[in-house]
Amino acid sequence: MSLRIGIREGFRTITRNASLFLLSLLVTSIALFLLSLFAFVTVNLYHFLNILDEKIEIIAFLEENADYEALKSNILKINGVRDVIYVSSEQALKDLQAELQETEEVLSVFESNPLPASLRIKLLAKFRNARGLEEISGKVMLLRGIMETIYGGELVDQLKKITSVITGFDIGLLLIIIFSVVFVIFQTIKLTIFARATEIDIMKLVGASNSFIALPFTFEGIVQGILGGFIAFILTVVTKRVAVSFLSNIYFPQGYFFVGSLLCGLIFGIIGSSLALRKFLK
Amino acid sequence: MITFDNVTKVYQKDWVALQDISFFIDKGEFVFVNGTTGAGKSTLLKLIYKDEEPTKGTIKVLDQNLRLLKKKNLPKLRRKIGVIFQDFKLLQDRTLEENIAFALDVTDTPARDMRKQMLEILTYLRLSHKKFSFPYQLSGGEQQKVAIARALVRDPYVLLADEPTGNLDEKSSQEIIDVLLDINYKGTTVLMATHNLKLIKKVKKRMLRIEDGKLASDQ
Repeated sequence: MSLRIGIREGFRTITRNASLFLLSLLVTSIALFLLSLFAFVTVNLYHFLNILDEKIEIIAFLEENADYEALKSNILKINGVRDVIYVSSEQALKDLQAELQETEEVLSVFESNPLPASLRIKLLAKFRNARGLEEISGKVMLLRGIMETIYGGELVDQLKKITSVITGFDIGLLLIIIFSVVFVIFQTIKLTIFARATEIDIMKLVGASNSFIALPFTFEGIVQGILGGFIAFILTVVTKRVAVSFLSNIYFPQGYFFVGSLLCGLIFGIIGSSLALRKFLK
Repeated sequence: MITFDNVTKVYQKDWVALQDISFFIDKGEFVFVNGTTGAGKSTLLKLIYKDEEPTKGTIKVLDQNLRLLKKKNLPKLRRKIGVIFQDFKLLQDRTLEENIAFALDVTDTPARDMRKQMLEILTYLRLSHKKFSFPYQLSGGEQQKVAIARALVRDPYVLLADEPTGNLDEKSSQEIIDVLLDINYKGTTVLMATHNLKLIKKVKKRMLRIEDGKLASDQ
């Protein structure tokens, strides 16, 4: 079966049923845009959760004159510790002043710097939970020179719970959206195939194989899917630009979205057209 | 060439379209299938090109038992059978030439052979001067000739004609019959379904008469 003829027939279908194709393309673009929008919101949600997750750490306050270098290297040996950052008491004061800004005078009541030096202990992802924090904190406390440790144990677990609920909800929603997108694309392609039912009948009559009949429609589905994906991508970029004017820190991996949109369009176009054709090729 | 052995076709709701039909058609024959509207003529033709499956019985076409024919081999069988209809079944958005070429595209015919075959068939049916016309620009008789050209261009063993003159006036009908007789004379087996007894009497060929789904006579 010649690919050339299949593609030629596919183009013929598109040009001779231009209005139907455009309508079908519009529906596909909107469906893919919804999917892309969902991905956009999800990516940003996870990006935000990731930032929060990264902030989970243990702060270990040091006794005066503690050997922070020795402590640092000892803590780094503890399983689950990724990094240790030393914050001197002067730096801690500066940070606090920067945070308080207008109420700076509050600090002036102290004659000397009341803040102790500390070590900020960053953990590996696996240990960023209440148990991990407690375990590592316990080990740190055993070291000579550590005055006290603080970490938000319960809050961390709550954050984890919220993340898992959001993930479950997200996957459920994703499945519904994917199903709807495939259904909509399938229905619109079916519409274009119905419009050419006579042609399919004649093809069968003159001895066309199923693959010969399917090729132009699959080609049409692919073109429709890729174009729809491209339009959906453009609409998502526009949405991102609008979102940026309202919210800061918008995360948008443009390259992935571009490839993802085209790929989704391509895959859904192929699935949609083969589902729609199945009935005609029985 | 075509054998029906006790063939019965029952559609949904127990509507019996054909019952215990048996006959044999030899290579090169011209056979009319006659009967009133709804007698089962079209069903009989559909069974031959396997557009319908028999409920009971055996059908052999070109030495092939259709019940044993694998689905993937059906297109190959259909390429050996030409079919024409009362409503022509032409693609309205394609020219006469494109409508005929459509049947050759299916078999991936090389462009040079395609041009040769097209030229032959268009000359034979005297349609060359209209090859760039669209079906709606042609008369009924011409449209049926295009349908015949599409069916013949692949040089089939059998030509099935389902009421080919049903939509045509007497003059055009005669022209179509003459073409079919000539095709038959050149060796193609022709099976033509028609309710027009007057036409059958004029041609004097074998006739299978179907009444209420049964084979009433074979003469």
